Amino acid sequence: MKRLVLARRETTTRGGQPLAFLVGLVFALVVGAILLRITGDPVLDVYERMWDRSLGSQNTWSDTFNRAVPLALAGLAVSIAATMGLWNIGAEGQIMFGAIAATFVGRLLPDAPGLVLIVAMLLAAALGGALWSFGPAVARSEIGVSEIITTLMLTEVASRLIVYLEQGPWKDPDGFGFPGVTPRPDQAELGTLWERTHIGVLIALAVIIGFAWYLRRSVWGYELRIAGSSEKAAAFAGISVRRKVLGVLLVSGAVAGFAGGIELLTTTTGKLNVQISNGYGFAGIIVAALALMRPSGVAAVALAFGALQVGGQAIQTNPGVSPAVATILQGLVLFGAIGAAVFSTYRLRLVDRQVAES
Amino acid sequence: MTVPAVELDGIWKRFPGVIANSGANLTVRPGTVHAVLGENGAGKTTLVNCLAGVYRPDEGAVRLGGREMSFSSPANAITAGIGMVHQEFRLVPTFTVAENVVLGAAPRVIDQGGIEALVADLAARFGFDADPGRPVWQLSMGERQRVEILKALWREANVLILDEPTAVLTPQEAVELGEVLRRMVAEGRSVIFISHKLDEVVSFCDEATVLRSGATVAASLPVAEVDASELAKLMVGDVAVEPVPVAVAMPGDPTLTVDALSVRDARGLLAVDDVSLEVRSGEIVGIAGVAGNGQRALTDAIAGLEPVESGTITVMQHDVTSAPPQRRFRAGLAYVPEDRLGVGLAPKLPVTENAMMRAYRKLRRGPIIAWDDADQLTDQIIREFEVKIGSKGAPLASLSGGNLQRLLLGRELTGEPDILVASQPTRGLDVAGVRAIQRLIVQQRDNGTGVLMVSEDLDELLALADRILVMVEGRIVGEFDPRVATRADIGAAMMGGSDRGTRPDTEEVSS
Repeated sequence: MKRLVLARRETTTRGGQPLAFLVGLVFALVVGAILLRITGDPVLDVYERMWDRSLGSQNTWSDTFNRAVPLALAGLAVSIAATMGLWNIGAEGQIMFGAIAATFVGRLLPDAPGLVLIVAMLLAAALGGALWSFGPAVARSEIGVSEIITTLMLTEVASRLIVYLEQGPWKDPDGFGFPGVTPRPDQAELGTLWERTHIGVLIALAVIIGFAWYLRRSVWGYELRIAGSSEKAAAFAGISVRRKVLGVLLVSGAVAGFAGGIELLTTTTGKLNVQISNGYGFAGIIVAALALMRPSGVAAVALAFGALQVGGQAIQTNPGVSPAVATILQGLVLFGAIGAAVFSTYRLRLVDRQVAES
Repeated sequence: MTVPAVELDGIWKRFPGVIANSGANLTVRPGTVHAVLGENGAGKTTLVNCLAGVYRPDEGAVRLGGREMSFSSPANAITAGIGMVHQEFRLVPTFTVAENVVLGAAPRVIDQGGIEALVADLAARFGFDADPGRPVWQLSMGERQRVEILKALWREANVLILDEPTAVLTPQEAVELGEVLRRMVAEGRSVIFISHKLDEVVSFCDEATVLRSGATVAASLPVAEVDASELAKLMVGDVAVEPVPVAVAMPGDPTLTVDALSVRDARGLLAVDDVSLEVRSGEIVGIAGVAGNGQRALTDAIAGLEPVESGTITVMQHDVTSAPPQRRFRAGLAYVPEDRLGVGLAPKLPVTENAMMRAYRKLRRGPIIAWDDADQLTDQIIREFEVKIGSKGAPLASLSGGNLQRLLLGRELTGEPDILVASQPTRGLDVAGVRAIQRLIVQQRDNGTGVLMVSEDLDELLALADRILVMVEGRIVGEFDPRVATRADIGAAMMGGSDRGTRPDTEEVSS
């Protein structure tokens, strides 16, 4: 008798991660097809529609690109913290607070020229994100409170804060009594590059390339790597782990907040609301994980996820297809990719039942 | 002839870029202690790992009692009666001896008292002195090793593999281990004893198999009939074994002064207890002692990695008692820590990033690191200290132990320090590596650097040091002059026995 066991590979396969991602994608599509089959939806039609709406034409490419921007920036935020082994899983809340800060500046300078206002609002967004991660950062660096809990919990606080602003101090006087924040000044809108693709795509790409380069080449990035390697090694090199923890969480928050600023400057309604972060902060964790926590990898993964989300949204308008399909597919990609990644460390082997059981 | 207990036949094992075993053989008769001899890197550990189910051989057969086996995991090998005591112990410090022994092989319902009684019986049968109710963190290294052996016996191991078992033992404990092993083989079990120390092999073992560069060069030699120097020659090949030449020390001014130093460990216990010592330029001061007697806390405190409870540390007339590590480095203190990979180096980072750890602040242009300069520095260390690497961008962990240590020592010495503190600098290295590191250390001394060297290898200290201090339970209990002191004298002091040191103030008695 033979049976299958999972045995650890003595050497891990190199370059396995992009492959694992592709396997995850295929796995998601196959399992997704089975699910659609069970619910009685036309599999090929649904997939075709997803493709058409995300990558099928130049026009839809715009949606995918635009969608990839917050995903990539959130992924970047998570991966920056991860260079030191820290988990910022509250990028969602930092995105919201970044948008709040940007809205605040918009209300403060309603008549400023467009460019000035845009720059000021984006800076405010980054500062806001950093401010939102300040508490967790200090708690972690000074008394060792896990940043995982605190960053996550502050997300809830940020969303309640937006609800409060919508109904209270920032309520739109022209909103016919409905709750809602006054839209940003009209001149504060990021322009487009082509079709609906907005300039935020270029800005995000520059930010990602900048960070990937800076982390690799700078003293700061080097010190983060040493500090993340081991506390003793950092002490040996004369690096204060406490200050690095503080710094890296603030920067991570700033990047997430910046994503909130971009979102605010590109939404069609121009309004701050709880949907502004739209799950990007959480999806960013997945993006960063699939990019192996490397800042240089988040753009590509975010693009694939953007396509999946945009395509998934399109099929929701198709009568009969559950809106959950898109979410399920995203989950399956991660599931499949992680499953496939296991095989870069483990392999299946047929062994004698006797030995396996003995 | 009886069926061999263990037969490893033509074992090949390749790793990327390395052939660890190239047709190695090992045949162990039941009821014998069988030594596997070889330098570090000869493939001893890989070979026995193939037997213990940790690795699968690429080619070759593993036979137990004549039956061919194919282990897919260590658990398979354990059930087949193979027990292995690894160099690094795998014990849960907060569990008791008995809990550790039965962990993973306990009856479904645990009756604390009953298990302790069973473990006590087992220990008594093999002549161990073990209190099954004591938590493991309270035990000495030697006692922990006995717990590991008990673990294997509890699982009814018929073949016990010990990987470099005496590295953590006092000479006395090593002798006791030998007695335990004799009892085990008297019951018909077999013991595989991995070592590179010839004297132990000669005193404990019945037969020896010698490995060199992954292959067996001599199989099942009867130890009683072979000369130790013969074995040494087999181990190292044609390389002549000669001691590192050490000139007479010319001590100068004090470089490092430690005065009444006390350090508490994480548990709040005094790891270093009122230690005073002085290292002058141009001398090697050795610290002897069994592992875990405060040596690590002492050197870490000197290097600034451990806070000081009381006392002072002075480097080249600068009080550095509370200075951060890099200030001490600038004051002239270089440090080779015991835990190379966890403290001195960052194994996942590239070679270059490790080489520049001490100097990167001088390699910056604004916020950016001048990577060309960093590469130059790395090249210089690699060249001067003959570090063999694949590429400067490869993770440090891809280097062999000897090369890691050369890189670390090279990096620490580039600042031309006045005082070098080196903790276990040659542990785990092969003969060539040990020699190279020892030579570098002696060279430093001859150039006028003061050296404080912690080692568990007494022979090394006797050969290199100009003075030997013995550390027991955080205190310096004796000082010896290696020219007149014997191994036995120092060994007795290491055991916390009578203080027969040749302290300077009692010099006239000894010399």
